This record gives sequence, structure tokens and C-alpha cells, in this order.
Amino acid sequence: MAMELENYKVLKTTIHPGQRVFARQGSMLYYTGDVVFTPYSMSGGGGGMPGVGAIAGAAGRMMQGEHVGLMVAEGSGTVYFGRDGLYVEVIELDGSSVLTVEAERMLAYEGNVQTSIVSLSSQGGMRGAVRGAVTGQGMFTTQVTGYGTVAVLSHGGAIALAVGGAKPQVVVDPQAYVGHLGQITVDLSAHVGFRDVVGRGSGEAMQLKLSGQGTVWVQASEKKF
Amino acid sequence: MAQLRMQGHRVLVADLANETIRAITGSMVAYDGAVAFKNAGMGGGDGFKAAFKRKMTGESISLMEVTGSGTVYFAVDAQDITILELTNDALHVEASQLLALVGQLRTDVKFTGLRGATSGQGLFTTTVTGTGTIALLSAGGPIIALEVAPQYPLVVDPDAFVAFHGQLNQTFVTDVTWRSAVGGGNGEAFSLRFDGQGIVYIQPEER
Repeated sequence: MAMELENYKVLKTTIHPGQRVFARQGSMLYYTGDVVFTPYSMSGGGGGMPGVGAIAGAAGRMMQGEHVGLMVAEGSGTVYFGRDGLYVEVIELDGSSVLTVEAERMLAYEGNVQTSIVSLSSQGGMRGAVRGAVTGQGMFTTQVTGYGTVAVLSHGGAIALAVGGAKPQVVVDPQAYVGHLGQITVDLSAHVGFRDVVGRGSGEAMQLKLSGQGTVWVQASEKKF
Repeated sequence: MAQLRMQGHRVLVADLANETIRAITGSMVAYDGAVAFKNAGMGGGDGFKAAFKRKMTGESISLMEVTGSGTVYFAVDAQDITILELTNDALHVEASQLLALVGQLRTDVKFTGLRGATSGQGLFTTTVTGTGTIALLSAGGPIIALEVAPQYPLVVDPDAFVAFHGQLNQTFVTDVTWRSAVGGGNGEAFSLRFDGQGIVYIQPEER
């Protein structure tokens, strides 16, 4: 099984028998071969929260607002995925690090990676929860682990910035943040000064501070979806 | 002078070593190092007179000063970005398409004739004069540079116009006939005509 870019906005996925590919519902553009698409029920399989009962896991997802309709593609053939003319980034996971990304931005991923919903507050305590509420990013994000390929959407394409080494901290506009990979802690900082209150701010009052070791993806736009 | 470079087509990168550049408010998407962002004030950092003119003309330009040491990344709405060098020269630019300014550059507002009254673009455009580097935004794809020579005048759609420089005379062309008056127009009733010697930059999308 292989995921690669057909062009900047179309993902080409080759499926062999016995393998599964998860994708956003309705994102299939066209396919060749013998492929079957079935809605993916959240209550079972790799999507559930570890250690939580199936139904409780599904209910939890819906409550958390990280509910995105998924489908499973199985069979033998080549499937092309895309959505709304958004740019696609292909991210390889080698099993050693965790990818954190918003569920809304997931286009497709291979069946052998695991996804779980993580509360931001477990990453950064109360500040994490506040960050979710303030940035409109939801209080929960999707974490992807394992060995495989993930396709992530961005508006206008995303650039990968290295965090760590010579650049111990990278600061990102919350609206342009796509996701991050590796040992990174995320903190929201608010520099809301007098100028912002009277409407004379620089427009950069809210910032996500990422520190640690890894990669952060930033899109060329401040448009959320 | 701070260096501007591109990462891809839509992200502008500025390497700052204890320097200041100006950019459109809210256009930062990421940075590292020690960098501060501050509103450049009503005149875009060009003083009271510019601020007053801007207030009067409605040609709004909202710039922030980016100061410090580090790398700053800018992007706006996935628009393509073009970097231009200006050497003791003037560039006339649509305020909404100006992304960043580096160096000894002044911005001012200039009366451009009556074109704006009907095209909804404002009667005034922003002029940037001096020596330095300018980053321009272009919606819908890469910017298109069109050369104008005395024997080859150019007509462009006001909604696609981004900037021009050179010895150009800009006139507003109307083609309002009884057809457009009754709603049967072809949608191209207003155009900008450039005569002289210079370069006109347009974008592949109409605002």
C-alpha cells in the first residue's frame, strides 16, 4: 500500500487486498480497480479511545466535537482523494513519534496507524483547555501513532518548520497551525495589551508556542476549516 | 538590511538580525527567536501627514512593525507572493496587495483620478518610494508582469490590478453603452489604461 501525491491537491492511494485505508467521507474523487467503500462506524476498531468501552468512546468523540465522518476503502485498486481544492501534505510516521493534528484536517490514513482523541487539557492542564476555547481549535485533537502514512489538508499548502536544536521554540499563529510531530509541548500565549483592546493591535495577540524536538506544519493562510 | 526570501510560492520568510521590517497587520503565521510585533500606527509608520491623508482618502493600509532577531514567516489567504527590489524608484500599489516592506521606503497616498469612484477601488492608491525590498500579494496564482511601451498601451481590469512602476500615465476607460445601462453589459464596462513606458503587475483573480 502506498500513498503519494498525484498533484498538490490530489492524493493517490494504492490498495492491495487485505489492507484498509481510512478516509474522510465523500473525499473520493475517482478510483480504478475493485474497491469497496463502507462508512466507518466509530464504535469499533482502531478509532476508539484506548481503555474506553466502544460506545462510550463513540459518545465521547461526539461530545468532543472531533467527530468527522470516516469511511473505509478496501479491495484492490487505486483511489484518488481530494477535498475543496485544499492542498494535501503526506506525512510518514515511523512508529517512533506521535503526530497531533485536528480531525478536520485529516484527509486519509493507512489502516495500520492508530488514532485517538486527546484532550488538550491533558497536554497543558487548564491552559490547554483555555487555548482550545480561545483559538477555536476545539479542546481535543487527534493523535496519530504507529507506522504508516497520513494525508493532511491545508489551505494554500503547508511548510514544515523544525523545532529544536538551534530553534528551541517556534511560535505559530493559531489559525495557521496545521499539526505537529514529535516531542513538542504546545502552549498558548496571549499578549493582549492595551493596544489590542482599543483596536490598534498588531493582529498577533494570540500565539501558540511550540518547544521541544520535532516538526510543526504551518499553512500559508489563516483560514480555518 | 533584513533579507526577504520565499519558502514555496505562498510563504514569505524574513531573516532578522536586530532589525525592523513592516508587514500587513496579522500576516505572521510563524516565527522563532525573539521578535516583537507592534502596530505601526495610523500612517503605517510614515508620520502624521500620511496618517491624515489616509484617514481622508479611505485608502487604508494597516501595517505592523516586526522587530527583533529571528526568522519570521508571513502568509495571507494562500495568495502567491512576489518579491520586488526598488532602487530609488516609486511603485504604485493597491494597498490590499502590499505584504511587506524592508529598507528605506516611504508609503504615501496618491490621487489616481476618477477611476476609483466607479470601480469601487478608491480614488487613491498607495505609492511606495525609496530603496528597499517589497513583497506583493497576488490572488489566484503567480503575479503577471506586463510590459508597456509607448507604441503598446495596455488596458487592464481594475479588479485584477496589483501595481505598476515606470513612466506610466494611468487613465480610466469607461465603456458604458445602453446595453450595460439596461443590464445587458458584458461585465467589462470599466478598465484601466496605461500609456508610456513601464511595467504593470496584475493578478489572475478579480477582487
